[in-house]
Amino acid sequence: MKQQPGVCTFCGTGCGHFMKVTGTAVERVFPSQNHPVSRGRLCVRGWNIHELLNTAQTINRPLIKKNGQFAEATYDEAIALLVDTLKALPTAAIGFLASPRSTNEEQFLLMKLARAVFKTNNISLASDAGHRGCLNVLSAGTGMAGMTGSLEEICKAEFLLVAGSDITKQNPIVGSEIHQAAQTGAKIVTIDSRRTQIAKLSNSFLQITPGALKLAVAGIAKCVVQDGLVDSDFVRTSTRGFEEFSSSLTQLPAQEITAKTGISSEEFKQVAHALARAKTAMAFFSSGISGLDEDTISYIFNLFAMTGNIGKEGCGVNPITGINNLQGGYDMGCAPDLLSGFQSLSDQAAVKKFNAAWGVELNITPGISVSELLAESAGQLKALVVIDHDEGLVRDVAALQKVDFVVYISTYKNKYMDYAHLVLPVARYIAEDGTFTNTDRRVQLSAKKLEPQNNVLPGWKLYARIADKAGSKWSYAGPADVMDEIARLTPTYAKLSHKKLAATFGGVQWPCDEKNPDGTRRLDIKAAGSSISFAKVTGTFTVPAAGKDFPYLLMIGKAQDFWHQNNLMRKTFIPMREYNATLLDYPGGYVEIAPDTAKALQVRNQWQVKVVSPYGEMLLAVKISDEVKPHAAYVPYFARDIIAKALTGHPEILKQGEDATIPIRIEKV
Amino acid sequence: MNNGAKIVTIPQTATIEEIRDEIRDVKTFYMSLDNKELDKNFKIKSGQFIMCTIFGAGEFAVSLPPSPENDRFHLTVRKVGSVTNALHELKTGDKVGIRGPFGNGFPFEEIKGKNIIYVAGGIGLIPLRSSIVHVLQHKKEFGRVLVLHGARTPDDLMYKENLKEWQSFPGFETYITVDVGTPGWTGEVGFVHTLFDKANLPVENTVAFVCGPPVMFNTVIGELIKRGLRDDCIISTLERHMKCGVGKCQHCAIGRTLVCTDGPVYTYRQIKTLGEQI
Amino acid sequence: MYLIKKTDILQIAKALSTEYQVYGPVIEPGSGQTFFEKVDDVSEINLSAPIPAAPPKHIVFPQADRILSYRYAGGNAPVEMKPDFKETPKALFGLRSCDLTGLQCLDRFFLGQEFVDEVYRSLRKKMFIVTNTCVTPFKYCFCVCTDSGPAAEEGYDLNLTDIGDNFLIEAGSAKGKALCEKLQLATAANKDLAEKNRLVDKSITLFESFSTESKAWVSRVMNRITTGFAKEEVWEYVGDQCFECGACSFVCPSCSCFNVVDTATGDCSCDRLRTWDSCSYEGYSRMAGGHNPRKPVEDRRNKRFFCKLSYSQSKKYLRPGCVGCGRCNWVCPGDIGMPNVVKYIRRETTSRDQL
Repeated sequence: MKQQPGVCTFCGTGCGHFMKVTGTAVERVFPSQNHPVSRGRLCVRGWNIHELLNTAQTINRPLIKKNGQFAEATYDEAIALLVDTLKALPTAAIGFLASPRSTNEEQFLLMKLARAVFKTNNISLASDAGHRGCLNVLSAGTGMAGMTGSLEEICKAEFLLVAGSDITKQNPIVGSEIHQAAQTGAKIVTIDSRRTQIAKLSNSFLQITPGALKLAVAGIAKCVVQDGLVDSDFVRTSTRGFEEFSSSLTQLPAQEITAKTGISSEEFKQVAHALARAKTAMAFFSSGISGLDEDTISYIFNLFAMTGNIGKEGCGVNPITGINNLQGGYDMGCAPDLLSGFQSLSDQAAVKKFNAAWGVELNITPGISVSELLAESAGQLKALVVIDHDEGLVRDVAALQKVDFVVYISTYKNKYMDYAHLVLPVARYIAEDGTFTNTDRRVQLSAKKLEPQNNVLPGWKLYARIADKAGSKWSYAGPADVMDEIARLTPTYAKLSHKKLAATFGGVQWPCDEKNPDGTRRLDIKAAGSSISFAKVTGTFTVPAAGKDFPYLLMIGKAQDFWHQNNLMRKTFIPMREYNATLLDYPGGYVEIAPDTAKALQVRNQWQVKVVSPYGEMLLAVKISDEVKPHAAYVPYFARDIIAKALTGHPEILKQGEDATIPIRIEKV
Repeated sequence: MNNGAKIVTIPQTATIEEIRDEIRDVKTFYMSLDNKELDKNFKIKSGQFIMCTIFGAGEFAVSLPPSPENDRFHLTVRKVGSVTNALHELKTGDKVGIRGPFGNGFPFEEIKGKNIIYVAGGIGLIPLRSSIVHVLQHKKEFGRVLVLHGARTPDDLMYKENLKEWQSFPGFETYITVDVGTPGWTGEVGFVHTLFDKANLPVENTVAFVCGPPVMFNTVIGELIKRGLRDDCIISTLERHMKCGVGKCQHCAIGRTLVCTDGPVYTYRQIKTLGEQI
Repeated sequence: MYLIKKTDILQIAKALSTEYQVYGPVIEPGSGQTFFEKVDDVSEINLSAPIPAAPPKHIVFPQADRILSYRYAGGNAPVEMKPDFKETPKALFGLRSCDLTGLQCLDRFFLGQEFVDEVYRSLRKKMFIVTNTCVTPFKYCFCVCTDSGPAAEEGYDLNLTDIGDNFLIEAGSAKGKALCEKLQLATAANKDLAEKNRLVDKSITLFESFSTESKAWVSRVMNRITTGFAKEEVWEYVGDQCFECGACSFVCPSCSCFNVVDTATGDCSCDRLRTWDSCSYEGYSRMAGGHNPRKPVEDRRNKRFFCKLSYSQSKKYLRPGCVGCGRCNWVCPGDIGMPNVVKYIRRETTSRDQL
């Protein structure tokens, strides 16, 4: 068979595809018709993944910076430099920034390298403000640190809530699944400040004032309680903590909700009743580098809990991860306080298990995340090992430049290399076996399809050689062995193995253990005999208000055009053309405003304007769009560094993630 | 119908002999094909285009400004994207690749004996130059010939040397205008169609060639129609994103037509029925 | 006409494999997906497999194809150019009639018109075509609406029909006849042809119940589109559902738009690649400098369906561009494959239900 099954590694959907490989190149890519998630579909990225995999813009040799210039080196030289430098430092001064793109095996070994070899717990993904927060809520509420529903069951949901996500652009096939459910009668409700494509495809679109998403969800929940639409049977038999949540809702003044969200009570009523009427319902929101904050997710969680939509078929609270193995990264313990499987460092039994398996005495004091280490001014961080990151995410360039020793490990060239003192290449993902865990906990095996080029090492081998140089001999014969160790130490992955995954078309969803040897499609509280805890909510809502001096609300968020800084897109032809069009028209980024706003300001497309906030100012080009409400403005992700420069000294604003909203005024230049 | 050589799939190399700065971001590249036999037999029609390869960067479609007769082969190109930027980095002696000539070309024999109006907005003068010079070379076979050229500012006027030449050529009526004057400019100010009255445009037995940015196009055509010109007597050349130039990649499709093989020259009557916006 | 025992049918493929590289339908065991693939052993071929997920057009129009490589040292140095037109004798064994129609469209387009495309011609030369009648429609099929099946009528060297214990073999060319004579195949009788016709008629009647996913009144809509009676609002409704992925063009047997890029393979060397492209993409018509004459997504949807159903008649293929294979139906994230768009145009659907 010349066509080999595989997994797309762009976003967290984890679509299946077939690849035909000839020699060292991918000849073509084609969708997998029967794949349980993608069912024959791919997006513009997935259809053109061969362009990325065939690019010549790969890092081909280890590089050591000497006198400001990179010089080629051997792996031995590079690894020796890395190990010697790290070993000479106090463990608290070392940080590891794991990548949401690496395989599970690579992430696990990186975690092992950090903890068992270099004795530091300073390992993190850059998603503390996003997916980690979401997993905290889900874990506390259900005992499972992952999506409660399943992408395969979207077709069984009668009601689909899309909260603040431009889902058809971020995870197109998930968006497609939602749309196709509506084609057969399901109802879609989108809550967003911008008229996204999914908003156009919805049966009801609540276009909220920027920054009011949490309040809008609370508004729906309040209506559910008031109109007696709570699924009391479900609440009584399967949940805990409803009373506290219910009373917090009654304290919310209804008129204020309408005033601050811009949504009428009639609209809230319609949505609440539709949700209650539906026998099955799912909620979707983006979860990634940034995302909804824990409080907002808690409201969504509670809304679905009280309407009986968690833990049953066709139901779920479903975070959608933006990058292919972000879920896997947390599953593998790439966090300062976690071991794999969301086991805490404070879990004595778990630590004992790892100590026995690894022959070490792990330090159980939680580490500090890399973003925090970079943000704190004492300059504690002396050495940083970064795996495959998009340079645009660097919010603290100044802090990064102060780190004495930065190591960058990746397959593709990237501007992040500019900040590195040492660069180590790893092979393309198709040059080795590896597993990825998508957003619905689906672990899928990507089998090796060709040999690594230029003698570049696969990730797992590189980490093993680093460990070896540092004095720890690991004895893995290959990635399958690594997965076996993961299974031994990770209860949710207990019955997984490469052999099992190779034999199971479409992957296996964890938990895959004694009780669920074939995996777990979704949280099933009946079968598990478990119950759901309502999340604690703060009850506070800070909806930034526009005022006389700052009459517009600026949202910072995602856009197709700037998908993760386009680092991977820029190495292709078609996706680069598609994603770059706006970049070429607006090289310095843009601020999207409504046609009325443009008229009032007397500005036209492409004209420069000064955007002034209480914290700073920046120059951007105007882009007129009727997707934005009057009195709102929108700046894409890309311009984050422009924003960051303008807002230096106000990190709490940036921390707000996707809901970050700043009152501004716009001045003609 | 030109019976000369046509380079279809594999580019032939040409060497740049001279580079001249025209207006801001626009340069003229004089070149000749390296294969001398091919160079001798390379016959073009006005209004045709070639696909030009910049080695290492890519290929782009470019109109041919030289006259088919007795005119040094050259390309006049504005740098506007990655490939044209790479072209502007080249020096004399460097090589480019040529495929072509492609396209239907401007009418020539068919319009002999008629009055000819050329309306060129900005760099729209580049493709029209080919026809203007060719007609100039055979002036006696045509009626009145008017050249009306408008640009944003005096600095943006194209082919200034040619314009001077045409202004002094007997029988050629040349009018120039700019949208915005600069200190020292003593000529006309106003959009190009404001020259129509002054020029006393002919209407009977007349053909008008119009080329320029989309925004100028509609206004000019409107004025010509108002004055009584028939829609099949107004001729333009359309531009589109092109990848092959030979009617296969289909990027240049407008409705039913492919600009690279059916065009790039169309009458306004044809343009109206293409089925899509230009 | 000839007859061969069903159990012996692959002998024809075996005979072809001595002279041609054989391609045929193969079912991938793990997923159950059918591919039309190059086979090293003809026993891999499964003639009862459904129509392949990917149209066989990739054999003559690859997804990514190097057509030229060049080395340039700069300055006075000559540029070395190496065309890369691939030519191999190929036998397509078990091609369905819709895919043959698609191939014929590509032939008329690439080899006709003003220029003959040398790249396509090289890949297409020396091809032996064996078609396989669809005695039963598949889930997404509607070739009966587009005059492209279920049985091939011309353009093949051999046409196979499964008539029970035997395959009926119709020779459609001198090449085909010569092979049958060489293999000393038994001559078919009139009753065998009658059985084939009976099965084809039966297949046509089965479309109504079998292919439940596609009911396309394509010819009626073709008329409406050509005479300009498709409402603008319908195109907006369709455009809202487009995910701009390009899949419809990639799986369509008659779509042939391509992109050309020069990609560096070293400091002074480049490969010129021809890769699949789609008019669904916004960047497809974008000109350097920013002007994009077909920017709104509904304009691109409109263009696609005009191109497929209307423009194709005049010059490109002299028949509708749609061959009724139904692939665009299952591959589309937005659920706007040909049958659904035809439905929306007929019914003038412009809005969706409220809550």
